[in-house]
Amino acid sequence: MSFFEVLRSEAKLIFSDIAIVLTIIGGVILYSFLYPQPYANESVTSLRVSVVDLDRSDLSRDLVFMLDATPQIDIVRSDLSEDDAKAAFISGDIKGIIVIPKNFKKDIYQNRTTTIAIGADASYFLVYGAIVEAASKAALTQSAKIKVAKLLKESTLLEAAKKEYTPFSFNLINLFNKNNSYIEYVIPAVFILILQQTLLIGLGILGGGVNESLRSRRLKYFVNADIYQIITARFIIFGGIFFIHMLFYFGYSFSLYNIVHIANIYELLNFGIAFLAASIGLGIFLGSLFTSREIATPTILFSSLPLVFAAGFVWPKEAMPEIINYIALLFPSTSAIQGFLKLNQMGAEFNMVLDNYITLWIQALLYTILGYYFINKQRKKYVKI
Amino acid sequence: MFKAFNEAFIKELLEIKSSFYKIGLLTLFPLFVFGLIVAIFYKGVAYEMPVVAVDLDKSELSRDILFSIDSSSTIDIKYRVETPKEAADLLKASTAYGLIIVPKGFAKDTQLLKQPKITFMLNTQYILVGKILKAAFVKSLNAMAASFDEVRSLKNGDPIELQITPYFNTSKNYFYFLVSALLPSIWQMFIVIAVIVSFGTLFKDKKEQEFFKGGHISMKIFGKLLPYTIVYMFLGFGFLYYLYFYLGWEFQGSFGFLLFGMFLTLLAYEAAALTLFVTGFDYARSLSLGAVYTAPAFAFLGITFPASNMNSLALFWRDMLPISKYMELQISQANYGAAMVDDVSKLFYISLFLLLFIPVVIRFKQRLQV
Repeated sequence: MSFFEVLRSEAKLIFSDIAIVLTIIGGVILYSFLYPQPYANESVTSLRVSVVDLDRSDLSRDLVFMLDATPQIDIVRSDLSEDDAKAAFISGDIKGIIVIPKNFKKDIYQNRTTTIAIGADASYFLVYGAIVEAASKAALTQSAKIKVAKLLKESTLLEAAKKEYTPFSFNLINLFNKNNSYIEYVIPAVFILILQQTLLIGLGILGGGVNESLRSRRLKYFVNADIYQIITARFIIFGGIFFIHMLFYFGYSFSLYNIVHIANIYELLNFGIAFLAASIGLGIFLGSLFTSREIATPTILFSSLPLVFAAGFVWPKEAMPEIINYIALLFPSTSAIQGFLKLNQMGAEFNMVLDNYITLWIQALLYTILGYYFINKQRKKYVKI
Repeated sequence: MFKAFNEAFIKELLEIKSSFYKIGLLTLFPLFVFGLIVAIFYKGVAYEMPVVAVDLDKSELSRDILFSIDSSSTIDIKYRVETPKEAADLLKASTAYGLIIVPKGFAKDTQLLKQPKITFMLNTQYILVGKILKAAFVKSLNAMAASFDEVRSLKNGDPIELQITPYFNTSKNYFYFLVSALLPSIWQMFIVIAVIVSFGTLFKDKKEQEFFKGGHISMKIFGKLLPYTIVYMFLGFGFLYYLYFYLGWEFQGSFGFLLFGMFLTLLAYEAAALTLFVTGFDYARSLSLGAVYTAPAFAFLGITFPASNMNSLALFWRDMLPISKYMELQISQANYGAAMVDDVSKLFYISLFLLLFIPVVIRFKQRLQV
């Protein structure tokens, strides 16, 4: 058989199967819109908080004003007692409570330390973090202002007053994803995973379907064609489609959600091609093992959540057992996510992602060889009979 | 009528018994995936995160400070280099998650009351790690500054101090936070897939006419679902038991009430799965639909990124997923200890999905007529 005939037959198999087309075209586009939705508002703001101001002085009102001015907190209630506030919390109306004690102003003027209580729902980390951070900042800023004012009153020079605050301090700089945008955090990595999973499902359905057809003695071309031709045909078809998907994801979608991209486009494409090659290799290999079309979708689906978290961007790989890291590395997505994040979100040089890059090509080679071996084995099994 | 139900149930048991795949979907596979998730977050808290330090001062003070930071269980100053550029490269390569620079002349400037600054750069591409490192760094540094400041602060203490109370999940353990949401997310995936596999194989093998012969279609559907209902309820109870009894995480409310809510959620997903199936009665296609419906669910639960900050499209999709209401119920009962009467509305909402059984049965009837 000529290569062109094989290519055409493979294409026919692929595009006449609704399940495959749904996944590799519909699924990819749908997921690109669906997955970012929860994070579209990027960071956590306007959390509902109640202030229990037991002092009601001009000083405490200043503090309340400062608290409300932070983007993270919205003072939606002022309760008369902590119990009232707690009731509102239980009913789900608010996520945090701030208590300003009685004698707040008096204590400050009489040089006594006073304590502000901040409580927030730690069931939801971002919620807790946002409320605590914003409230702490507002309270500590007011504290610093008061302290400097007091020192000034005691006739200390302004400069010295400011410095008496601490002997040394620090500069905290957020590198990469400076705005703590959750979208920048999650989406680049999730997109890579989506590309891999849909690719694997597509090839899995194809491979499984072929195995099924072999069992029932259909698919003449498959039995007659050279395996090299079949594999090459799949690389061309899936590679072409997913290359376009990659451009769509990392070009259009990124712009849509204002995700930063620093990397040089050629480096990115180079890396992306390695990732696709490894994924297609794995897909062909898995497809050769699946006994039916329908095994692919669930198998790949169930691996998604573990792969997302084992990839090491949500939860650091240093905090996972080593064996999990090794299993995760078997999948192209893990190396691809690590390399891609470094290249595109953190501006690394290509030589810094070389280990990820090489891993991907080794996977591409190994999985393709394994795929070849098993396709051959399956065919021999049925051609003999 | 009950006979039809029973018949279908027994038939399904036999079907399952003869299929390794179906047995796996009910036992090995979900337990395996649960196990993976637990293993990933096993440590719960991030320890000894690698950080790089550049000490341009090399004084006793700078060494003391770096030592103090290193002794934090969260931070491990694994690399020490001579230039900020080398350090930045380590950050870009994600070999280190943070970078500390002590500037030249630091000790001297401290003495001269010039308030020099130590620079801490965090890789906040990894938001969670960034937060953890920031908190640990600030804590170490404040402890050091306080010990310095002792003499002075006796005279000029901080006027306002903070007392911070985390409500619920007081140990702020990431394991609980994430795993308590991941296990239900995985659970719902399996329910939908198992139901589609069960009915999908029936139609693919063209055995549906035989199976539904003799009427009582709805009873037969429920009978066929029963093995899955039982087993997944058991698995669900299993993960709740694991979290709240075996691991001992706090459970403030009514466990029985939550179990009931879990049962309703299970039925809701069976209804949803069948709804997806009856769109075409095509096995492979419904699996793809099932994947689209269940795969992204975790993100919409609002555990990582809160629902209060989602846009309307996200909230709409979220409302289509019973598991999001279930998760609210789980947190409400376990963390807040809410009264049953306050959470009944959640149960009601989940029950609405059961109405889907009506169009499902109608579609089955139409299809079997043909």
